[in-house]
Amino acid sequence: MTHHICRRWLPAAALAAAIVVPAALTAQAPPRGSAELIAQLSAKPTPHLNGKPDFNGTWDHLGGIEFVRPQKLADGSVCLRGCGPAPGAPRPAPAPAAAPPRPAQANPPQALFPKYKPEFQAKVKDLSARQVENDNVLKCLAPGVPRIGPPGKIVQNSKEVVFLYDDVNGGFFRIIPVDGRTTYRKDMPASFLGDSIGHFEGDTLVVETTNFNEDTWLTDNGAFHTAGLKVVERFRRVGDTIEYTAAAHDPAVLVEPWSSKPYTMWVTNQELEEPARCEDRDLEHIVDGSHHDNPR
Amino acid sequence: MRHRLLGVLVAVVAMLGMAPLLSAHHSVAGQFDLSKSVTLKGVVSKVDWVNPHIYLHIDVKGDDGQVTTWALGTVPTAMARRAGLTRESITGKSGEVVTIECNPARDGTKHLGWVNTITYADGHKYELSGR
Repeated sequence: MTHHICRRWLPAAALAAAIVVPAALTAQAPPRGSAELIAQLSAKPTPHLNGKPDFNGTWDHLGGIEFVRPQKLADGSVCLRGCGPAPGAPRPAPAPAAAPPRPAQANPPQALFPKYKPEFQAKVKDLSARQVENDNVLKCLAPGVPRIGPPGKIVQNSKEVVFLYDDVNGGFFRIIPVDGRTTYRKDMPASFLGDSIGHFEGDTLVVETTNFNEDTWLTDNGAFHTAGLKVVERFRRVGDTIEYTAAAHDPAVLVEPWSSKPYTMWVTNQELEEPARCEDRDLEHIVDGSHHDNPR
Repeated sequence: MRHRLLGVLVAVVAMLGMAPLLSAHHSVAGQFDLSKSVTLKGVVSKVDWVNPHIYLHIDVKGDDGQVTTWALGTVPTAMARRAGLTRESITGKSGEVVTIECNPARDGTKHLGWVNTITYADGHKYELSGR
């Protein structure tokens, strides 16, 4: 009888749950990238795999375009950025004397610029002035590390961690051995994304990368580096988030190690997509070399 | 038939106080004249879903019946995706006449521009570079 009742009512209960629970979740879900979302996800237990923090997953960090906040209207219109009040919308109330702060958002502004030794500052200035000619990021090549930012997906097993990127310049990958090795491969040519070795420090994955070519910059505005660059990235898993930092060490040209923009990443069910092909059609038409930041 | 209605409406207008444009690449102002606005009416014949900028092509029929194809750059694919825009939604319906307000190229290249707004036949529009 009980079995019969269960069979009879379970579908209805499941249907009700299917309607009610997602609606409740939707109503309560904090905005993507909001401090509230980060706080909720950080409070979850940190998962582990083979005794190490488990970084498997697809990770969101707004991809460097957190400033894009589209407005969508009922008629299908879309305003992508810098949108004023929608046509016909009531005029906004006058701003109070002390405007309330904007909701806290993960991953606000860029890091400071690297500090170059005096003898290299003129070179940086010249490269910056001619960024449109010299910056390979504008030519659809790999951005280098740490300029590429954190990966969009991480695949991990006991021997290696694989980073996948769906970058505006293309799909890129990095393979990070975590098998205890301490020496880099000797048969690898210098490359845009270098050669990496990883190890764990508690809940942090530390990735040290060398063997870069000199075809990338640390960031915009002429921030060149030498082949002696070493980048140390730290991925600290906190609940369902990762705190990401990266430091560039290039003592031949930098006064001190440079820390790139830190990120907080969070688990997402929005799977990575194959990026559209990168095909520059603009550079030949640039008339004055002006440029701006190229966020990731 | 609808092509008969198409015409080139080129209105060069001084745009004071224009909202900042966006790109994840070089400066838009280095390539396009943001002080000038060109209004085109035509059919979107192709959308190249490429980075760093999507390019759409619009066939504009002049008063003399000649069709001119403009190439118009706009935002990176990731930004379009974030706004829920796709190649299909940007293309519109087959043969649909759209109105595009854009900025012309600074280097004098003809029929090259940067999209600000696309308005479709039913009145809905995509504002891609700020209002």
